[in-house]
Amino acid sequence: MNFLKILVRNLVHGPSTVPFPFGPAWTPERLRGRIVFKLDSCTACRACEQVCAPGAIRFDKTPDGLRFMMWHNTCVFCGLCEFYCPTDAIRQSDDWHMAHATADQFTMAIREVIPYVSCTACGAKALASSPNPVGITPPFTPEEIEQQRNLCPGCRKKALAERGAAS
Amino acid sequence: MLEMLTTPIAALLFPGGLFALAFGLALKGLDRRLAARLQGRVGPPLAQPLFDLVKLARKRTMVPDIAAEPVFLGAPLIGAVSMLLCAALVPIPGVYTPDTMLGDLLVLLYLLTLPAVVLMIAGSASGSPFGAIGFSREMALMLAYEGPLVLVVVAVAMRTGLGQGDLISFSLSEIIAYQQTHGAFLFDPVMWPALLAFLAFYPANLGIVPFDIPEAETEVLEGPLLEYSGPALGLFKVMSALKAVVVLGLGVALFYPLAPDGALGLLVHLAKLTGMMLIGITVVRLSCGRMRIDQAFSFFLKWPLALSLLSLAIVALA
Amino acid sequence: MTTLLEKITDQARALAVRSPWIYRINAGSCNGCDVECATTALIPRYDVERLGCQYCGSPRHADIVLITGPLTTRVKEDVLRVFAEIPDPKVTVAVGVCPISGGIFRDGYAVNAPIDKYLPVDINVPGCPPRPQAIIEGIAQAIAIWRERL
Repeated sequence: MNFLKILVRNLVHGPSTVPFPFGPAWTPERLRGRIVFKLDSCTACRACEQVCAPGAIRFDKTPDGLRFMMWHNTCVFCGLCEFYCPTDAIRQSDDWHMAHATADQFTMAIREVIPYVSCTACGAKALASSPNPVGITPPFTPEEIEQQRNLCPGCRKKALAERGAAS
Repeated sequence: MLEMLTTPIAALLFPGGLFALAFGLALKGLDRRLAARLQGRVGPPLAQPLFDLVKLARKRTMVPDIAAEPVFLGAPLIGAVSMLLCAALVPIPGVYTPDTMLGDLLVLLYLLTLPAVVLMIAGSASGSPFGAIGFSREMALMLAYEGPLVLVVVAVAMRTGLGQGDLISFSLSEIIAYQQTHGAFLFDPVMWPALLAFLAFYPANLGIVPFDIPEAETEVLEGPLLEYSGPALGLFKVMSALKAVVVLGLGVALFYPLAPDGALGLLVHLAKLTGMMLIGITVVRLSCGRMRIDQAFSFFLKWPLALSLLSLAIVALA
Repeated sequence: MTTLLEKITDQARALAVRSPWIYRINAGSCNGCDVECATTALIPRYDVERLGCQYCGSPRHADIVLITGPLTTRVKEDVLRVFAEIPDPKVTVAVGVCPISGGIFRDGYAVNAPIDKYLPVDINVPGCPPRPQAIIEGIAQAIAIWRERL
């Protein structure tokens, strides 16, 4: 007669349905949802492209710079890119409202270009990516990051050597 | 003039027809709603069966290549019409007594087998293997439950007939009149075995868990209904809604027809049907699993048959 | 006279749109998305019956089709056949990233994704698998599209 107890309990306690399509939905704190890309922090190390299992992240060389492309309709939300990103430039938000009409499916992508600049020290063409902070002590200050961004790889090394820390 | 119209009105408007259909759909809606509540869900709106019907009416009916088209499309029509007639044959105590010209208990019994027959025909005409499985299961189940049903009805009829000095009385109005003077059979210990047998017959005839074996969704994908779509499927829904009203009404007439006259009587009748639907069907279907066809077959040949025979023997000897 | 007829038709459509029946097609899915679809059907927490939905076993009863899986070569013909048996008007929802792009199986030798090369897809619900709420959201969007087609 256990099932009768369950039926009566359900009837007395009322439905346990969440109000979702008609009301707000609860979202777990650490839900791995929509990818957020912060162009300013990207070091162009391309680690995310390497670890992305379904190949949702791609870097292309374009005349303007290095283009970061990511399509949510291929992403499996595994979180590897977030894990391997040295600067938290790629992050997963807890936004899961991603159902969309097929006509809009290519708006579900992130396309950002890391532009080329000419190095402020030597004038060579260089990517304006954020410097890699791994192993840098003391850590970069924001001014230093801006300074490094406008240098070519060779001049970055030089600047780091002058700073007195091993790169 | 008015007398000529009573029969069509009975079949199309008041006790049968539109009224029975509306009430049957409301019963189905209540059933789904209560089922959801018992499972801890919110459930669909009460008018959901009506929405389903309107939706089905607007869809396209597809006929499979290998189906026998006239039979395939005619079967649901026959089923719905037979249930429409049936609904006019079931009395509402104190409010409506069917014209004996239309028929009585025996005609009702024959008409009640039609939906099962129609399902069998539909299943075999659709040419689908699942339909064929549904056909064979429906046939086995029907063989199992029709026997106890007839015995229950004979027991009730004999009880009435013997009480009145005849041997047997197959008149629903006499059965109701007898119970109104001598007390309902529901409280008559002699009739309790028959009542139990009838309770088992309910879900089997309505195709509801634990006896929804022919139309089992998870096993044979709704069996005979598999190939139906659009208005034809809607007619089957109409048929099952009407069948719920008819079978529940038959139960009320056989076992508990006590009701005041007039509008109050109608309300009492509807309340009885609703209560029976919710307790006898919704709760039962939620608390049981589906039986296998062989289990259902042996169950019916064991318990309801024995109980109805027992009841018949007691009635005959008493 | 015609306005009355139009009014009745509109009313009927408003009623009919509240009864979308759902059919699932597994086009070679890994079963993750199917489990989530079953979750929306069976678990009281995500009661999809509130929208009038009902999971049906027969493609001929369906109004909204949920397709999971990247359309493997093995099931391709069968999926297309079952899809053709669903009476119009119907709305297709691609559940999970596999039918949309192939997801993790993207360049597999036996995978024919994206599925919209073979059949019209109306709603995408990305995720691997998507949350039950995301599926319900997709179904709600599909109902809106279905209303236009009915």
